[in-house]
Amino acid sequence: MEWSVGETSERYTAKLTDTEGALALTGLTSDGVEQAHSEISVARDNQPGRLLVEVNGQAQFAHVAKVGDSWWIHLNGRIHVVNGHETGSADSDAGEGGLTAPMPGTILEVQVKEGQRVREGQTLLVMEAMKMEHRIQAPRAGEVLAVNFATGDRVDMGDTLVELGE
Amino acid sequence: MIPEWMVGAPRSFDTVLVANRGEIAVRVLRAASESGLRGVALFSDSDAGSLHVETADEAVHLPGASLAETYLNAEAIIEAARSSGAQAIHPGFGFLSERADFANAVKAAGLIWIGPPAGAIETMGDKISARRRMIESGVPVIPGEEIAISESVDHLGALAAAAARVGYPLLLKASAGGGGKGMRAVHEPKMLRTEYEAAAREATAAFGDGTVYVERLLTGARHVEIQVMADSLGNCIHLNERDCSLQRRHQKVIEEAPSPAVTPAIRSAMGEAAVQAAKAVDYEGAGTVEFLLSERGEFFFLEMNTRLQVEHPVTEMITGVDLVQKQFEVAAGMPLGLTQSDIGITGHAMEARIYAEDPSKGFLPAIGDLAMWREPAGPGIRVDTGVREGDSVTVEFDPMLAKLIVHAPTRTAAARRLDNALANLRALGVTTNIGFLRQMAQHPDFTSGGITTDYLDSRNIADFAEPETNPATLVAIAAAASRLGLDRVGASGSSQSDADEHTGHAGDPFRTLSRSFP
Repeated sequence: MEWSVGETSERYTAKLTDTEGALALTGLTSDGVEQAHSEISVARDNQPGRLLVEVNGQAQFAHVAKVGDSWWIHLNGRIHVVNGHETGSADSDAGEGGLTAPMPGTILEVQVKEGQRVREGQTLLVMEAMKMEHRIQAPRAGEVLAVNFATGDRVDMGDTLVELGE
Repeated sequence: MIPEWMVGAPRSFDTVLVANRGEIAVRVLRAASESGLRGVALFSDSDAGSLHVETADEAVHLPGASLAETYLNAEAIIEAARSSGAQAIHPGFGFLSERADFANAVKAAGLIWIGPPAGAIETMGDKISARRRMIESGVPVIPGEEIAISESVDHLGALAAAAARVGYPLLLKASAGGGGKGMRAVHEPKMLRTEYEAAAREATAAFGDGTVYVERLLTGARHVEIQVMADSLGNCIHLNERDCSLQRRHQKVIEEAPSPAVTPAIRSAMGEAAVQAAKAVDYEGAGTVEFLLSERGEFFFLEMNTRLQVEHPVTEMITGVDLVQKQFEVAAGMPLGLTQSDIGITGHAMEARIYAEDPSKGFLPAIGDLAMWREPAGPGIRVDTGVREGDSVTVEFDPMLAKLIVHAPTRTAAARRLDNALANLRALGVTTNIGFLRQMAQHPDFTSGGITTDYLDSRNIADFAEPETNPATLVAIAAAASRLGLDRVGASGSSQSDADEHTGHAGDPFRTLSRSFP
């Protein structure tokens, strides 16, 4: 199993060893490279969904819940998502050039054409979802390869709206 | 049975129907239960298992999935009141709460409307007539201009001329807008067209009315609003102010009471103006008069919300008055039972709105299942929620999940309590703004009390990003949680699901001692 944290792309593997009733982190790689890490161990707790985590001897609770392939983790007052991936699987295509609809909704306005060069942060199209307008912006500069929807079209979550090239 | 406290009231009732859903329906139904009233809930197809249904004594199904068939279906709602024996209807906020025709229909059906008279809703609901009435009553208003825009006439020509007279920067408001929808700031003439079109579209999508008007945008001002409460016998008092200056695109983020910018002199003048505004429309029940407070301490009427407000709990915390209970009393025709001198301020209260939204993606609404929802508890902590663990968050409704309200002796203590309570709200499975709210609650600009309404819109939201957590710890937790089988239903130390897949032994997950799995 490989792991990624939030929306970052690094793939991690973790080696855990059972020691005195807890699982200790005894190996960590990031994109295949062995990483130095703090002394971390994780033990089961008697409350459902809760784990006891020790980092360099400091104990704290982590609350966890699994949704799909991701672990949602509440640790130290902060919420994180760690995604599980089959070892060696390709990155999902999100952010790889396809700009996808973040919500189901309706396209209100298309502000770019195929072949047009756009700058980072430029509004590509405006969509309405949950009664509010959302501007879909270019995550980086590039050329618009395709615009897949027109004004008035309904889109589903995950639909590729615009394809952005180099 | 009529509760004891209501016996002898001119319009007594024993059952109240709550024409709403989510946290406000739960809030009102709980108040009804505390007051000895029977509470009736409504639910659409997708809300059958919702918390507000569970909270009610009885629930009436409104078949259909669209809002028009369910929570906006006046006829079906009145019929539901009849069939369930409810004599009174509480509209909550949003939905039909500010619809004069609904208030009238409720009364025409011989039911008690827990809200202001239809005339007050009508006058205050139209920003133009509200403004006119306030000018007549001597309540200060913002410099601005009314423009009636009708079909087939040159909208933009008339708009541009009015905009030039009012001056930039200005605010475009759809007359029927609200909650930030259909409202746009225009900083220079060349943006007028784009923003007008956006405002008209939003207003049409949300409210079915595309009329717009312009007013001067006061920069560096604060949003301060006064809670008023009036009975049907002519008594009207105010319950101090709430400061809602921390907003993003006119959607409130954290509200507090009292306002750090309001002196006793301003409070008394603003409170008096609010009571004057309420009396000008023969108000009854709970209402809120919103003002903009300038840097120089001048204040201007913005609008009146003729209903209970989302942020009403902060007022309840500092005054000790249960506004929903008071609504019931006033609707029953009872006197307010409070005079202005009874209203004081104890401590400081703050409310954070918990939204299913992603601050790192332009606050886009998020959806998913609440795999974990565990609320903070402790002295001075109140959670008004519409959801519970296991609920689905869908695109159908407003993405507000809950409100976290804290009360503490001082403002500094309240901000710390808010941050700490947010840290202990464990909402997993759906992206929320909790982390962003914590960053705000800790931010020196917020703790110093100097936030103005333009604050968030003029900042880069990335500057409020949460501190990073060591990925090694998170990866170790995820790997360990998988290994310990916490993803299995009912996973806990003693459950059946603990049978270890490698040894076949049930129970102890550490039977595989010294074996390691990469």
